[in-house]
Amino acid sequence: MNTDDLIRGLAQDTVKERALSAILVPGMAVAVGFSMLCVWFGLGFRADLLQSLGAPVSLARFLLTGALGLIGLRLALILARPDGRSRANLGWLAVVGAVALGLLAWAYVATPADGRQMAFVGKTITKCLVMIPLLAIIPVAAILATLRRGATTVPALAGFVAGLGGSGVAAAVYALHCTEDSPLFYVTWYSLAIAGVTVASTLIGARLLRW
Amino acid sequence: MDDWGQLLRAANAGDSRAYGQFLQTVAPVLRGVIRAKGYGLGDAGCEDVLQEVLLAIHLKRHTWQEGTPVRPWLYAITRYKVVDAFRARGRTIVLPIDDFAEILPAELGPDPTEASDMAKMIGMLDGRSADIVRKICLEGSSSGETGQALNMSEGAVRVALHRALKTLTLLRNRHVK
Repeated sequence: MNTDDLIRGLAQDTVKERALSAILVPGMAVAVGFSMLCVWFGLGFRADLLQSLGAPVSLARFLLTGALGLIGLRLALILARPDGRSRANLGWLAVVGAVALGLLAWAYVATPADGRQMAFVGKTITKCLVMIPLLAIIPVAAILATLRRGATTVPALAGFVAGLGGSGVAAAVYALHCTEDSPLFYVTWYSLAIAGVTVASTLIGARLLRW
Repeated sequence: MDDWGQLLRAANAGDSRAYGQFLQTVAPVLRGVIRAKGYGLGDAGCEDVLQEVLLAIHLKRHTWQEGTPVRPWLYAITRYKVVDAFRARGRTIVLPIDDFAEILPAELGPDPTEASDMAKMIGMLDGRSADIVRKICLEGSSSGETGQALNMSEGAVRVALHRALKTLTLLRNRHVK
């Protein structure tokens, strides 16, 4: 077949795929809704949820993880385009990381020496390290599915961003249940859970997102 | 430069003539790039790669964002697919994006090069899909005429054609590599 013939055939195919945001947005709405229901019925929201939002250190959990989620989603939509690498500003992720580290350092200084160990270990490390990755499965899958319909030229990086975004969202939802309000706890252990998900998602992306 | 954007916008809105024109316009430019980079492959080998790139552009055209320049988008797809195709054929190539602008389009006019991969892949499709692709591509039938000949509705032909083109890409990825 010569190329003119192929072009004639391609021009006849008027079936168009949906825009990427039209896949990601409903996918994430379902993912977030489902995760919230899981936390609500499976673990229960923390009893003092509303009051805890008034405390800046507790509120910061939602702000940091939520920001990570939104930045991850935004970057995923950009990296889903073939020319996305030059348009994606990964610096925003570093800003979130820097703020989290700053908060950790502040908490270390502000917590009395004899209370640090207790704040750091908390009571729910295992639950945190299990639940955040579990809750991240559907959001990460929704982002990866969107990326697969796109045409990323950086599969591993796209997987990395999907992992950060999806687990950021998952951690924000988990924070509805979690009562550990010290940054010594949550910056450390939420980050570890998010890092685990992100490593897995990067490896999956590197394979799955080739086209 | 802007005319490519206009053609592609019309194409994405469903104007298949504008779309054909868009592909006809970009094909010689991309052929020039591929030939300049892939002298070891021979003309037919380059044409195989070009067809792979065109198919990728086709199936990923929804990833172009209206209002953004077409060239970076087009070259990013081309670069990705060309590097991939060369890797699959056991060669590595370095393809700086800036190179693209300096390469002249291959000579215009009807292209005599018969590419062989695509014919092989069409042979691997199921009978009906292969018939549809052959009728539309080789015989130049419209989807309406093809539908009449194969006793299918025009809409069913369109959907089947789209599926067949997707399958061709998958077959390519599986068999050329």
